[in-house]
Amino acid sequence: MPATPSPYHRLNPLTKAVIATVGSIGAFVLGGYIGPIAIIAAALVLAWRAGVAGRLARVSLLLTLPIAISVVLVSVFTRAGTTVLFEIGPFDATVEGVDFALQTLVRLFAISLSIGLFIMTTEPRAFVFDLERRGVPPRAAFVAVATIEAVPTLVERATTISESQRARGLDTEGSFVARVRGLLPIVGPVIIGSLTDVEERSLALESRAFSRPGRRHLLWAMPDSAWERALRWVLVIGLVAAAAARLSGRI
Amino acid sequence: MLTLSGVSYRYAGYAKPVLHDIDLTLADGEIVGVVGANESGKSTLCLVASGLAPGSIGGAVTGGGLAIDGEPMADKPLYAFSTRVGIAFQNPATQLSGVTGSVFEEVALGPMNLGLTQRETVERTNAAMATLGIEHLWDREPRRLSGGQGQLVVIASLLAMRPPHLVLDEPTAQLDPEGTRLVGDALRALAATGTALLIVEHKTDLLDGLCHRIVALDEGRIVLDGPAAAILEDDRLVALGVDPPSRVRLARALDTRGLDAAAVLA
Amino acid sequence: MTHVTVESLGFVYPDGTRALDGVDLGIEPGASVAVIGQNGSGKSTLVRHLNGLLRPTEGRVLHDSEDVAGLRTAALAARVGIVFQNPDRQIFAGRVRDEVAFGPRMLGRGKAEAAAAGAAALEAVGLTDATDANPYDLGYSRRKLLAIASVLAMDTPVVVLDEPTTGQDARGIARVQQVIAQLVADGRTVIAISHDMRFVAESFGRVVVMGSGRVLLDGSPAEVFAESAWPVLASTYLEPTHAARVGARLGLGSTPTEARLVEVLSARG
Repeated sequence: MPATPSPYHRLNPLTKAVIATVGSIGAFVLGGYIGPIAIIAAALVLAWRAGVAGRLARVSLLLTLPIAISVVLVSVFTRAGTTVLFEIGPFDATVEGVDFALQTLVRLFAISLSIGLFIMTTEPRAFVFDLERRGVPPRAAFVAVATIEAVPTLVERATTISESQRARGLDTEGSFVARVRGLLPIVGPVIIGSLTDVEERSLALESRAFSRPGRRHLLWAMPDSAWERALRWVLVIGLVAAAAARLSGRI
Repeated sequence: MLTLSGVSYRYAGYAKPVLHDIDLTLADGEIVGVVGANESGKSTLCLVASGLAPGSIGGAVTGGGLAIDGEPMADKPLYAFSTRVGIAFQNPATQLSGVTGSVFEEVALGPMNLGLTQRETVERTNAAMATLGIEHLWDREPRRLSGGQGQLVVIASLLAMRPPHLVLDEPTAQLDPEGTRLVGDALRALAATGTALLIVEHKTDLLDGLCHRIVALDEGRIVLDGPAAAILEDDRLVALGVDPPSRVRLARALDTRGLDAAAVLA
Repeated sequence: MTHVTVESLGFVYPDGTRALDGVDLGIEPGASVAVIGQNGSGKSTLVRHLNGLLRPTEGRVLHDSEDVAGLRTAALAARVGIVFQNPDRQIFAGRVRDEVAFGPRMLGRGKAEAAAAGAAALEAVGLTDATDANPYDLGYSRRKLLAIASVLAMDTPVVVLDEPTTGQDARGIARVQQVIAQLVADGRTVIAISHDMRFVAESFGRVVVMGSGRVLLDGSPAEVFAESAWPVLASTYLEPTHAARVGARLGLGSTPTEARLVEVLSARG
C-alpha cells in the first residue's frame, strides 16, 4: 500500500470487491464491443485516480497476452463464417472469426483490469478482516490470509533447498532435461518442509486460543458508509438487470 | 500449580512410549529447567505439559494425567489450555501467525481470540510488550524481525493470554548470541512477573542463576530432580549427555590438575 | 588440494543491500577456519561465493589462482562442499544410504563407488547403524549429522559447514569436533560458520570475525579472543569465551580455551 492512499484505496474492501466482480461479469453480460470497452475505460480511469494505471495496464497485458494469442489463433480459423479473408492450408480465416477473436480479447482485458484493480488497491488482510466483521468465521478468514501470505515463504524455502542440492552437484543451469530432473530433490523437501511448518504453526497458534469458537472484537474496522452501501446495491442490481435484458434478447 | 502424575505418553501410530512414569510439579512462580540429550523426551514433555499432546497431535497418555491447580485437564478443549499454560518453540518464523502486519497486531491476536473487548485487548497487549521491553517494535512487520526479536514477540503474544505457566522448548536453539542474550533477559523479566516457567535448554549457562530447580531426562524418564545449583554440579550430567555450565566445567578441569578452583573463579 | 582465495570481494543483493565489502581472504589447503559475526555480517554470503551459488558484484573468487567466474556451481561442487544449517532443507531420499550416495552420484561416480563413499561417510559421523533407516525417523541431531555425511561422501578438498552445532546436544557437538579433526588430519580444508564461541576456540586454528560485510579481525583464537580484541567482538555482538574472560581477569594473557587456561595456571604454579 502506498504511503498516502488515494480515495479509491480507502474505499471499503467489499465495495472494491463488488466493483471488480460486476466489472468481470458485466464484460460477458454486455454484448458487442461497447460494453466491455466501457468497462475497460472505467477501470483505467479509476486506476489512474488511484495512481496504479501504468502498473495495472502493464501487468494485465502481460497476463492476458499469452491467453489472448491462443484464443485469437483458434477463433480466427475455426469460427464458422462466410466471408473468407485468407487461407493457410486447410484453415480459413473469416471476418466472423476475426470479429469473435477481437470481442473475446476485449472481454479478457476487461476482466483482468477489473480484478487487477482490486488486487492492487486492497490489502488481502483488510478484505478478509472486513468479511469477518460481516460474519465470516474467523478461522476461514485466517486460512484465506495465511494462504496468500504463504507464497513468499514458499519461494524462499524452495531457494534454500535448491542451494543445498546445487552444493551437492545438482545441475540447475544446464540443459532443459537436466533442469527438469533437478526438480525432484527440490520438490520433496519443499512439500515436507511446508507441511512441517503448517504443523508447527498450528501447534503454536493453539496457545493463542486459535481454535476457540465464538466471535472476536476486532481491533480494527474498515470504514463503510451509506453511499458505499448504496453504490454496491446499485451495481449489483444493474448487473442483474443487464443480465435479464441480455437473456430476453433486448441487448 | 501444574502437575504431571505418573504420566507415560506414546505418539500416535507408535507402539513404544516416549515418556515413562513422569512425576513433575511446577509450583506457582517456580522456574524449572529441563536438560537431557536430544531424543530424551524433552520436547515430548513440553507437548504433554501444555496439553498439545494428546489434544492437538493425538497419541495416548497413560498411567496418570495433567492437572492444573488441582483440575484434571484430560477432557478439556484445546483453547482452555491457552489461558493456563502457554508454549513457545524454537523457531520464531513458524510461531508468528503470518497474518498480521505489525507486532502490535500480532501480540493482540491471542487476546482477540479470547473474545475480549477492544479495551481489554489493548491493555493486555501493551502490558505484555512492556514486560518484554519491545514497545519500540510495535509497528514493525513481524516477518522482518531478527530471530531474537521474533522470539520476544512470540513470548509477548503468549504472555498477553495471561497464563500462570509458560513452557519454553529450547527458545534460543536457533538464535545467534545477540538473540540468545535478548531471550535470556526476557526470561528474567518473565520470572519477575511471577509466571511459572518450564524451560528446556542445552545452554546450561542460561539456566544457571535463573532456575530454582533442574530436572534431567534420560530415555523418557526423570532421573534427576532437585535444586538448580546442586544438579548443575552433579557429576552424572555429563554421562547423560548434558554439558554443565562453564563455571562447573572449568572448576572440574582445575580440580583435575590439582589447582584451586575456588580461588580462580572467585 | 585447493587453495581458496577471495580478492576484493563485494556483493550487493538485487534490492540494493550490500552484504560484502572489499573482503580479502586466502585459505591454504588443510586450514581450519571459523567465520564468526552477528547475523547479517556477511558470513553466509561469503561462503556461498566459494562454490558459485552467488557470483561477485565486485572482485573475484579463485581456486588455485583460477578465477571461478566461468565455472558452473555443479562443477565447483566437486571442489567445495557446503553443508547448510537446516538438514530438512536438503534431505529428500527415503533411505539414509540413498541420501549419502546422492552427492557422489551427482559428481559422476558409479553406483558401487558412490555406495562405498557413502558408507565411509556414515561411519565418520557415527550413523552406520542407521544406513537403511528413513531419514525422518532419525532425530534432528542425527539428521544434521546425515547432512554432513552427505557432503563428506563427495570427498571434496574443501568442506564448508554452516552452523554445524546449532540444535545439537553435547554428544552431537563432540561428534562434529571429531569429524573436523579427522578432515584436518586428512589434509582437507575446513571452513565453518558458527556462533558457538567455545566450539570455535577449541576446534579451529584460525578465526575470521566479520561485521557489516567486512573482515574485522583475522587470526588465531588466542589473538581473536584476547582482551584487546573484545571491543571489536562487541561491535559485531559477540562475546569472548568464558575461559578468555577468566584468564583476562587473572591477568594471564589470552586463554581462549579451558585447556589453555588450565595449562597457563599449572605452569604458573
